Amino acid sequence: MTESKPGQVALTRPCVKCRAQEATLDSRSQPVCKDCFIKFISTKFIKQIDILGKKTRPAPGPSSTSSSSGPPTLTRRYLLGLSFGVSSTVLLHLLSENLESQLAKGRTAPFDLTVVHVDTSSFPSREGTDPEASVAAVEAILDRYRARYPRFTFQRVPLSSSTLSNNNNNNNNSTPNPSDDIFSLLSSSTTTTPPTAASQSDLRQHLTRRTLLAETAHHNCQALLLGHSTTALAELTLAEAAKGRGFALPWLVGDGPAPPPDSSSEPRESGLLIHHPLREALRKELVTYAGLVTDPSPLTDLLLEQTNDNPGSAEGTTRVVSHRDLSIEDVMTRYFAEVEESYPSVVANVARTAGKLVRRGGDGGDEEAATACELCGMPRDEDGDVRWKGELGIQDNGEEEGDRESVAARLRGRLCYGCERSVGG
Amino acid sequence: MARALCANCKAERAVIKRPKNHAKLCKVCFIQVFEDEVHHTITSSKLFYPGEKVAIGASGGKDSTVLASVLKTLNERHGYGLDLVLLSIDEGIKGYRDDSLDTVKRNAVQYNMPLKIVGYDELYGWTMDQVVETIGKKGNCTYCGVFRRQALDRGAKMLGIKHVVTGHNADDVAETVLMNLLRGDLARLSRSTSIVTGDSRSEVKRSKPLKYSYEKEIVLYAHHKKLDYFSTECIYSPEAFRGSARALVKQLERVRPTAILDIVRSGEDVARLVPGEEPSSCACSGQKGAAGLVDDDVGGCGSQNGRTPGGEMAAMDKQLRDNEASEGLEIDVVKTMVEGNAARGEKRDLPIRAGNTSKGAPRQVLGNCKRCGYMSSQEICQACMLLEGLNKNRAKIQI
Repeated sequence: MTESKPGQVALTRPCVKCRAQEATLDSRSQPVCKDCFIKFISTKFIKQIDILGKKTRPAPGPSSTSSSSGPPTLTRRYLLGLSFGVSSTVLLHLLSENLESQLAKGRTAPFDLTVVHVDTSSFPSREGTDPEASVAAVEAILDRYRARYPRFTFQRVPLSSSTLSNNNNNNNNSTPNPSDDIFSLLSSSTTTTPPTAASQSDLRQHLTRRTLLAETAHHNCQALLLGHSTTALAELTLAEAAKGRGFALPWLVGDGPAPPPDSSSEPRESGLLIHHPLREALRKELVTYAGLVTDPSPLTDLLLEQTNDNPGSAEGTTRVVSHRDLSIEDVMTRYFAEVEESYPSVVANVARTAGKLVRRGGDGGDEEAATACELCGMPRDEDGDVRWKGELGIQDNGEEEGDRESVAARLRGRLCYGCERSVGG
Repeated sequence: MARALCANCKAERAVIKRPKNHAKLCKVCFIQVFEDEVHHTITSSKLFYPGEKVAIGASGGKDSTVLASVLKTLNERHGYGLDLVLLSIDEGIKGYRDDSLDTVKRNAVQYNMPLKIVGYDELYGWTMDQVVETIGKKGNCTYCGVFRRQALDRGAKMLGIKHVVTGHNADDVAETVLMNLLRGDLARLSRSTSIVTGDSRSEVKRSKPLKYSYEKEIVLYAHHKKLDYFSTECIYSPEAFRGSARALVKQLERVRPTAILDIVRSGEDVARLVPGEEPSSCACSGQKGAAGLVDDDVGGCGSQNGRTPGGEMAAMDKQLRDNEASEGLEIDVVKTMVEGNAARGEKRDLPIRAGNTSKGAPRQVLGNCKRCGYMSSQEICQACMLLEGLNKNRAKIQI
């Protein structure tokens, strides 16, 4: 039924949007042509980037949301977190397109973009991997991105305790940085029982996020852009709920200010925004989109060779893996890949619903600002912690062995519930 | 390799690795710890008062049997001074209830508790088998769930009891949390996580003392205490959101056993983030946070908890898609003006940032059903609505 006969006046299945071309694609159960599909995705993007543009307009006066500590910004400054996955690559492409079209019209550039890839290859450090080789591999990939998008700056930032503590210079309390503990815990080959895949994945994800935020501040950017699709946000919602981070959901899933920094962060980290400009596109749509872009060369060229990087990526969903090696995120990715196929609007609704939740524990709340978790940086739910302790029987927490026990004990009371869970195993 | 010793008494061999926190325990300590935790839940949430008459919703299944056993033990050990009664509902499903009701009858003797059995036929004039005959296998869980919820309350009322406890466990609550996140129902989510439902306006209060107990531990407890329970699943299985959420919970548990309790925790926390909800953390007092309608309680029948008709997910997907389609056709004048004035440009997220909470989750106003007097947010309660439909059909069939 999708057989197309170009050249004929009567179209067998006209695109519902333009009615001028043969529909070759399904978009939200409507037949559309390639051009209209591309336009559809870019419209979704432009709507969101415009929203961000209004929030970050460097307007004079107290209503400005931009940080006042940095030099006056004449143009908006964004930082994009690039995972090399489909979504963040598509976002990069759309940002580039947006910039080029503005420049082509003779306008000034709407924003400056710094692209950062957080290299998690050494987290946790594995035996037998050559760190220099993996750095070179990442740089090689980045070079391909640099060649394609010469207007943007690309940077590789390793996920390591030094990255986080470098950005925590103003730390004036004498307690050691918890990320040091975590890194030593995860890097130590002497650890008798390494944390589970689920815990590693959780910690990696949150430390990556924190690193990106620190880089955003470091580069004097106003907003951190993340490539999450609707599907990814739905996955994030349920995954974080499943990891006990319900309290932080609005901060993680919504667009808006980053969680208020705690005392150990740089002051300029406050007032940062986190936005997800692809929040209204499904993952499968982004995959389709990536396949359609051919100018100047297929976007999929950039995406080769990275399928084994991330077991939770869409490509990995069909592999059979022992549940011991799976993370909570993997389970959600598999789950939503199915839901997205049959019930795309349900996926969209999950993300939208999570966006309605009230942010608590941040500034501007009616209660006193909560302290931030020293690991993931999210506000901690101290009331909930007090109420919860007894239900768990945490006192008889089984036996924890060696390093982990000491780390878990040292960090107790300084982490949020979700991070405590991941550090504990 | 020698088996590890019990982490608690350090004397006996550990035979159980708790799903809850990986602790390795011996049989005696496990039973003790399980009971202690339920005791903690009861005391910290102030579920009972001395001399209170409490009906245990008993299905003969593992959850309610364990609940009855634990409550009896704790009542004697800690001197709660409770007057415990078993209350069973006979939905009228042949082959399902006959055996399980026999189990409940034996339990009544074993625990020396009075037993009251209320039938759907005497309450509604319909057995579930008759309902299925009329409306088919799809969607009947809605009827069963709605009828059942009221049946427990009505049965309790008949006995002059104002408090019903049910065997809902942590797995059930986790499932409900994920289900309500999946279908975007924040109003229900905020209610379903609280341990007590039904406020001063409702005649019967509901609570779930096993809310923090893992299904797996309940099975272990029943096994090691050699409890007499009937294990079967409802033959009219549910589908859609609850089934989907249930499967997801099981998968998550396999990957990370603590996930179930983590979801319960998230559910309680998210409940406080629902626009219009109290920011207070204490959902355990039973007074506030308990504005919940009873018909928003954790789902229906003993093991399957089915209340959602098949195809619900597809139906919702379609409805949402229709909404999206019509979104472009209409202009929200108020919203456009607000946006213009505030120049914030936010379209979707207005409720949070502008503090316009009324749009977030629609609040239901509690009233009473005009027909049966049962509390309801509608003029006529769900059960009476369903009955009306059923009775119409019956009339036609008989003609």
